[in-house]
Amino acid sequence: MLILEFLVKRIAQGLLIVFITSLLIFTLLRVVPGDPVRLIVGGMAPPDVVEKVANKMGLRDPIIVQYGRYMRGLLQADLGQSYLRPRSGMIATGGQYVDPTKSDMAPVTDLILERLPFTLQLGGMALLFALLISFPIGVAGGLHQHGWQNALAFAVQSLFVSIPNFWLAIVLILFLSVKLKLLPALGYQGFSYVLLPAIVLSVEIAPFIIRTLTTSLGEVMQSTFIDEARVRGLSRRRIVYSHALRNAAVPLVNLLGIQLSTLIGGVLVIEYIFDYPGLGNLTVVSVVGRDFPVIQGIAITTSAVFVFINIIVDLVAYMIDPRVEL
Amino acid sequence: MTATTVIAAQPEQAPSRIRSVNRRILLGAWRMPSFRIGLFIFLGLLLLSAIYPELSSISATKMIVKDKFLPPLWLGDKWAWEHPLGTDQLGRDMLMRSLIGLRYSLLVGIVTVLLIFIIGCGLGLFAGFKGKWWDTIIMRITDAQLSIPMIILAITILGVSRPTVPTIVIVLALSGWPLYARVARSAAVAERGKEYVRGLRVLGAGDWRILLLFAAPNILPPIAFVAVLDVARMMIFEAILGFLGLGIQPPTPSFGSMIADSRKYLINAWWIATIPGIFLAVALTSINLVGSALEKSRNRIYGGL
Repeated sequence: MLILEFLVKRIAQGLLIVFITSLLIFTLLRVVPGDPVRLIVGGMAPPDVVEKVANKMGLRDPIIVQYGRYMRGLLQADLGQSYLRPRSGMIATGGQYVDPTKSDMAPVTDLILERLPFTLQLGGMALLFALLISFPIGVAGGLHQHGWQNALAFAVQSLFVSIPNFWLAIVLILFLSVKLKLLPALGYQGFSYVLLPAIVLSVEIAPFIIRTLTTSLGEVMQSTFIDEARVRGLSRRRIVYSHALRNAAVPLVNLLGIQLSTLIGGVLVIEYIFDYPGLGNLTVVSVVGRDFPVIQGIAITTSAVFVFINIIVDLVAYMIDPRVEL
Repeated sequence: MTATTVIAAQPEQAPSRIRSVNRRILLGAWRMPSFRIGLFIFLGLLLLSAIYPELSSISATKMIVKDKFLPPLWLGDKWAWEHPLGTDQLGRDMLMRSLIGLRYSLLVGIVTVLLIFIIGCGLGLFAGFKGKWWDTIIMRITDAQLSIPMIILAITILGVSRPTVPTIVIVLALSGWPLYARVARSAAVAERGKEYVRGLRVLGAGDWRILLLFAAPNILPPIAFVAVLDVARMMIFEAILGFLGLGIQPPTPSFGSMIADSRKYLINAWWIATIPGIFLAVALTSINLVGSALEKSRNRIYGGL
């Protein structure tokens, strides 16, 4: 019952957040200079043609009216159609005039659903690698607060957080892909193409996990129930793995919810560098091309994902530790 | 008699203890070797980037094509003393370009964090102190802002307006303030219920007076110590924007655009991509060492109180 109440409340709040986000990005796109029509009809088109196309697309209506129209579509799960991408998949460039009011442009929903699995795959692999790197280091650092393990955790975390992701990407492409020919780097032709971008992303996430793990595990190990467990005669392995880690996991799960936007930002840059066919790459191309419906769709998708994952995070934290307030 | 002396001694001790909390945090950090190493590296880089470009006659933007692709000292067979870290594809000195890039990077990072600190903490304190409607509105805007990844916001704005140092700072600040607002708000909510605030209310002090003169000095310093870490984060973001072509525009060198341009020469002239990255990574490491030492020492002192 408590969980149901929590879900209803959080989903209502989440819808509000997605609504505000969409309004923010919608207004921002139209207030900031840069006319998508100019890019659609090409630089050579006379101003009256620009105005005509803009009026036909409804881009000269008041923002509130445009937003209302957009919302009506959104309620029917229709995010509109791309300004630049026809159904066939080719990108229309400026000059070649493609009439965006016609229905041969790709629906934004399709564009996003097509790419979302790739991005989720990359994000998931990156998270997995990050956990693999940071668990041994973080647990060792947390258990030995005054030993070399803690110093190592501190050093690794300071170093990793200081490496710019795009630079690491280039250096790894140079060494692992060009020089040693171990991993493929650019584009996507199979699972192995995920590995290198995922490694770069995991280096970006790992320091946060290491830091949280060392501090929270260190705190938990000092609490009385750990001493009590020792008195009860439990083995050290049992104490660490089933008592201490379980309690130290709550801040870790919360961290994932907070760091999600860093992860999404990282995904965007990494996908752009590796030419990986995910949402991040689509974002960069759409922003440069002023493809309003696609940008709005992506913003709504990411904020929905953000809200969803934060709800899950709070639920998982509650499952692990029922003392956590929902 | 003894009772009066105790009462007289009490108010004298209180202000000196409040001041000493911050001083103890600094002192605690100073005792850590990582803090000192980080601080010395950082000051060294700061001095180098402040002095060397002023003294040297080499220009960071002038192209000398006959000197192009010179490797760093003692590497390869064409190195030259006047270009200790080699030259790029247009014969520009790598050391000079990296140092100028470092100047801009630090400028953007520090100014942005100051701005974020003022906006975020200001709104957070206000929301936490006023409560009710103000709190709800400001915090929901914060949530919405947090759910838009900063980079999407940044490329949306910078993609069209010509990126200059002020616009970059504003965009980065716009996306960075929500976390500070959250932290400051929760601290303000906790502070609001404390005895001294209620005491001040009884004495007739207004919201603003309590907030600015009494609560802020308690709430802000702990946040400020951790803000050092965000200078590094903002420097990375500045570099990412530069890499995407949305940072400080050429010919002015910036780390991001230098690394982006050098990708084409990666195989023949690896140093063009590597050297700015190393400069950036060393600067970031030094700032992070200082920041995490401050954070550790802060947590230790607040945990011990």
